[in-house]
Amino acid sequence: MMNEQRREFIKKTALGVLVGLGAASGLVPAFSLEKTVLPVWDEKPVPGKIRWGMLIDTRKCKEGCQQCAAACHHAHNVPDFRNKKDEIKWLWQNPYQKVFPTASQQFVSKEIQDRSYLALCNHCAESPCTKACPTEATFKRWDGIVAMDYHRCIGCRFCMAACPYGSRSFNWQDPRTAIHDPVTTYPTREQGVVEKCNFCSDRLVKGQQPACTEACPEQALTFGDLNDPRSDIRLLLEANETMQRKPELGTKPSVFYII
Amino acid sequence: MMSKKLLWIFAVTAMMLFAVLNVFRKGEAETPPPLSVHKSVAIDSSKCIAPASFMRANHMQVLYEWRNSSVRTGNRVYIASNGSKYEKSLNTCLGCHSNNRLFCFNCHSYANVKPKCWNCHLSPMETP
Repeated sequence: MMNEQRREFIKKTALGVLVGLGAASGLVPAFSLEKTVLPVWDEKPVPGKIRWGMLIDTRKCKEGCQQCAAACHHAHNVPDFRNKKDEIKWLWQNPYQKVFPTASQQFVSKEIQDRSYLALCNHCAESPCTKACPTEATFKRWDGIVAMDYHRCIGCRFCMAACPYGSRSFNWQDPRTAIHDPVTTYPTREQGVVEKCNFCSDRLVKGQQPACTEACPEQALTFGDLNDPRSDIRLLLEANETMQRKPELGTKPSVFYII
Repeated sequence: MMSKKLLWIFAVTAMMLFAVLNVFRKGEAETPPPLSVHKSVAIDSSKCIAPASFMRANHMQVLYEWRNSSVRTGNRVYIASNGSKYEKSLNTCLGCHSNNRLFCFNCHSYANVKPKCWNCHLSPMETP
C-alpha cells in the first residue's frame, strides 16, 4: 500500500518536472507577437541626441545577392505584387545612373557603372517628405529616423512627389493579398497608405541591428549613430571617401556610400 | 510485464534528456544585443491594466493615447494607477485576451462598431 503511493508520487513528480523543463526550453511555444525590450521610464527619448545613419560599402556588395532586401521585406511584411506598377520598395537595387544621376565624377570606370547599388530611404536630416505631408503622418523622429505613422496617412501621395529618391511606395491594392510569407512580429499596411523603409525602428527598440545590416554576408552595411564621434560609422566616414545621393538638394541624407 | 516497465523507464528518460538538452541549446542561441540603446525594464502583463468596467468604457481612449505616444514620441511604457508597468502595444492586451478568439468582435458586432485596427494589426482571430 505504502509502496503504491510512493510509486504514484514519483510518477507525478517526474511528469511535473518534464512539463516544467519543456516550458523552459521552448517546447511549449512562448507568445510570438511583436515585442519590444522597453526603455526605462525615466529614459525618455531626447530629441536630437541620436541620429541613426547607414554606410553602404558598395565594393563589398556582391552582384546578384539579394539577401538584405529579402530579409528586410520579409521582416516587415512588404508585399510583392510581382508587377512593376504596384511594386512596394523598402530596400532595392538600381544601376549607377539611377542611384547617382547627379554624381559630380565624370568618366567613371565601366566596372563602377555596371554595378548595381542599394537604395533605401535616406532618412534625410532636412527631409522634404515630412514638410510636404499635410497630416504629419510622416515625421522626423527624435532619433533622426523619418518615420511613418500609418494610422494618420490619408494616401495623398504628396510625400512621394516630394521625395527626390523615389523611396516611397503607394499601396494601390490591399497588401495583405501579396504577402507570401507573413510574419506575426510586424503589422502589415492597408490599401491607400504610403510606405517606406523605417530604418528598422522596430528592431532598434529591441536593441538589434537593422535586418539588412544583419543579413549581409559581406558586412557591407554599417549602421550607427552619426552624432557619436566614436561610433563605427563615424570612424569609417572619416577614413573613407564617401558620397550621398543628390547631396546638392540640401536634404542631408543619413545614408552614405563608398563607391 | 518487466519489459513494458523497462520501456516506460526508457521513454521517460529519453524525454527528460531531450528537454534538458533543449534548455542548454536555448542558452547558447541567445546572443547579447549589439546595440544597447535602452535598458530593459520588468514588464508585468499577467493582469489587466485597469478594471474591466473601465476598459469596457474607455479602451478606445487608452489605445488612442498609447498609439500616439508610442509611435510619435517613443514613450513605450505605460504606468498604471497602481504603479505597475506595461508595454504600450495591442499585444499587451492580446497576450491574454487572444485566448478568446471573439474578444474584440463580440461587442463590436453587437454595437455595430467597425474599427480599422485589424486592417494592419493581427486580430485575436489571427494570433498564433
